[in-house]
Amino acid sequence: MSANVSSKLSAAVPAVEIRGLVKDFSSGLRGLKLRAVDHLTLRVEAGQVYGLLGPNGSGKSTTIKALLGLLEPTAGECAIFGVPSGRVEARREVGYLPESPYFYRHLSGRELVRFYARMCGMGGATLESRIDEVLALVGLTAAADRRVGTYSKGMLQRIGLAQALVHDPRLLILDEPTAGVDPLGTAAITELILQLKARGKTVLITSHLLGQIEDVCDRVAILDRGKLILEGAVSDLVGRADRQALVVEALPENELAELRAWLAARGRKLETVETPRTRLDRIFLERVGKKDA
Amino acid sequence: MNTVPFSLRRALLIAQNTLLEAARQKLLLFFLLLALGLVVGARWLRDFSFGAPELKFLADCGFGAMAFFGAALAIAATAQLFFSEIENRTALTLLAKPVWRAEFILGKFLGVVAVAAFFCALLTLLLMAVLRWREGELMREFPEAFAQGGVVSYGMVALGGLLQWLKLAVLVALSLLVASFAQTQLFTIVTGFFVFVICHLQYLAQDAYTRAGSWFAQNVGGGLASVFPNFQLFALADSLNAADAPPTAHVVRVALYAAGYCAVACALAVYCFRKREI
Amino acid sequence: MRAGLRTTVFVIASLAVAGMLLNRVAAPAWSAAREKQPALKLDSSMTAAGQGVTLALLGGFRALVADAAWMRMFARWEARDLPGVETLIHVVSAIDPRPAYFWMNGARIVAYDLPVWRIEAAGGFEAVTKPVQERIRREQAQQALRHIEAAMAFHPASADLWIERGSIELNKLGDLAAAAESFRRAWEQPHAPFYAARLHGELLRRQGKKTEALAWLIQLHPLQPPDPEEPKADVVLARIRALERDLGVPPARAFQPAR
Repeated sequence: MSANVSSKLSAAVPAVEIRGLVKDFSSGLRGLKLRAVDHLTLRVEAGQVYGLLGPNGSGKSTTIKALLGLLEPTAGECAIFGVPSGRVEARREVGYLPESPYFYRHLSGRELVRFYARMCGMGGATLESRIDEVLALVGLTAAADRRVGTYSKGMLQRIGLAQALVHDPRLLILDEPTAGVDPLGTAAITELILQLKARGKTVLITSHLLGQIEDVCDRVAILDRGKLILEGAVSDLVGRADRQALVVEALPENELAELRAWLAARGRKLETVETPRTRLDRIFLERVGKKDA
Repeated sequence: MNTVPFSLRRALLIAQNTLLEAARQKLLLFFLLLALGLVVGARWLRDFSFGAPELKFLADCGFGAMAFFGAALAIAATAQLFFSEIENRTALTLLAKPVWRAEFILGKFLGVVAVAAFFCALLTLLLMAVLRWREGELMREFPEAFAQGGVVSYGMVALGGLLQWLKLAVLVALSLLVASFAQTQLFTIVTGFFVFVICHLQYLAQDAYTRAGSWFAQNVGGGLASVFPNFQLFALADSLNAADAPPTAHVVRVALYAAGYCAVACALAVYCFRKREI
Repeated sequence: MRAGLRTTVFVIASLAVAGMLLNRVAAPAWSAAREKQPALKLDSSMTAAGQGVTLALLGGFRALVADAAWMRMFARWEARDLPGVETLIHVVSAIDPRPAYFWMNGARIVAYDLPVWRIEAAGGFEAVTKPVQERIRREQAQQALRHIEAAMAFHPASADLWIERGSIELNKLGDLAAAAESFRRAWEQPHAPFYAARLHGELLRRQGKKTEALAWLIQLHPLQPPDPEEPKADVVLARIRALERDLGVPPARAFQPAR
């Protein structure tokens, strides 16, 4: 097989493939089954930022754990870059940030990232420079030699990202990465996801804060009580192809009447006139950003 | 598809991290101080001044401290260091890396065994120092009782420490086996303690089945008794007298016995842990 | 649930099979250790000591428990608590019969201290008649000898126990023949001190068996180790010469030590 054909084939392999995933948990002494994931089928193409959305208890984290081989599915199959999740090889190209991460408190941030890097088989002369690089990327260079036990929630999230990124994986799985993080931290994570996307990485994000990740996702799947209720490209789901919004400087009443008449002459209708609003987190970021500068 | 083979290097990294975690926790320090206190304090528990047998009392205290606090440390550290990974969800991040569960179990085992080795080595050295110091004092006080020189064989003390460590290694492996399927740390600690007691009494059951006439009792009963290792076997160097030293072949056999039980218990722990939901 | 049961059975069966194989590996070491490991007899006196003691014994701390019981015995000894001391001497040796020290010192206390306490408890040496004192001494000495007899089951080759036995027979029962025999038996044991043999000869002489004593000492003389304090002293030869004088051995037939 030529290298060209081989690369085309590998490009066709999805980053994540979940087929008919079912996960039941036994509860109580009588062994009653609680279905956490119900016949879920998903496909995440390489290079996409994919959002797995849904309220708490909808089965997002269970899906992620099954995908990572951390729990055994009751039925169905999961694969990462074509490798079944049960195999250790499947996790070689994955960086994972769990929900509310908790790391070895006795290690410093640098020691922690070094530990995980070595667990991924890294070593040699490039190891330390790569550790410095990811610590800088997540903005923890100054706190790198402090014990993880002294880190704030946002810093734990960032050191979690550093350990997930240190071996430069092709797929990054972020489980509720913005939960409990302040707007600055959320913006930094969003920025990082966009950078990773630009470098061709695949990112799978779960979140119950639908609005927060809407901006960065190419595609989303929405789960409810373990079932897939909606899946598609973000632009298809939230955009309206038959409508357009034009933002202009404020028009006096008479000019607005002229515009309506001009549209009416062409068989069009001005449906809504409203004052554009910004978001509170944007105002916060602008103010804090200016102050920091 | 490139495979990820089992890596002893990764297991050693987990062991190193486990050892570091234990060292930075208060647990090891707590048991170490208690044991050190007993060994050193034994000298002042009572002023015997009855010559050489006092050294036996000191050695009994030292090995008793090593056995008791060592067992408590082995069981508690195994349970604590294993369940802290599960309960704090650090295992989630670790096992999401290309890491075999067997590497995780082996790493935990080696880490706690290293803690036990440090504990036994330190206590053995301290016991040797206390014995040497007291022996010197007694030699000056009762020269006639030491007419033929010192009575303490420090080789036997070292061998005693080594055998204690081997026993603790087996206890760590068995505790890890319990932890691999137990749901709580408390269950692991309580079960580990019972296992420790049963292992000391195992020889009684073994004796009874061996004496029994029937094939069924000897093989089925003996087999069931063999589920638990015989901890009395590790009392091979239970003397300060060099004349009581066991042959090297016997020490090697006991080491193989311990290694065998460790290997089987760890393998079974991997078996139980392989599908555990993290 | 069924999977859990299957796993449990598999784990137990695997451990049993591995254990049976490993027992074979350790068998020679265990049979050697087993000989030194007398069975634990938890009689009523020990279980009365409390569950903590029983648990400690079951947990493999018999040496330490025996030491602790010996220390308690020592405290009872200081308080002159006769029943307490008697019970604890028995308990200590039952918990851990391996150290000969416990047996020997227990026997000494029974033979030498307890008669004094009994006589003092009965009114003192002035008030108690000589025959009663003698009876008490004999009773205690017999009890101590029984204790040593029990010790010998665990320490059949202990010269120290034979010496202790001989000392009690000599000092408390005044039985020269029995004591002489005990010192001879002591001398037959490995690592026996030379003085045991010398005492055997001395006791033969005191019994009037001078010819036997002379023959014994002559045979013993070449084995005499040098006295570290007086290397030139020859105690055995001095005894030989005294016996030769008593027996009227002519100088020509007198013992000539090899040079």
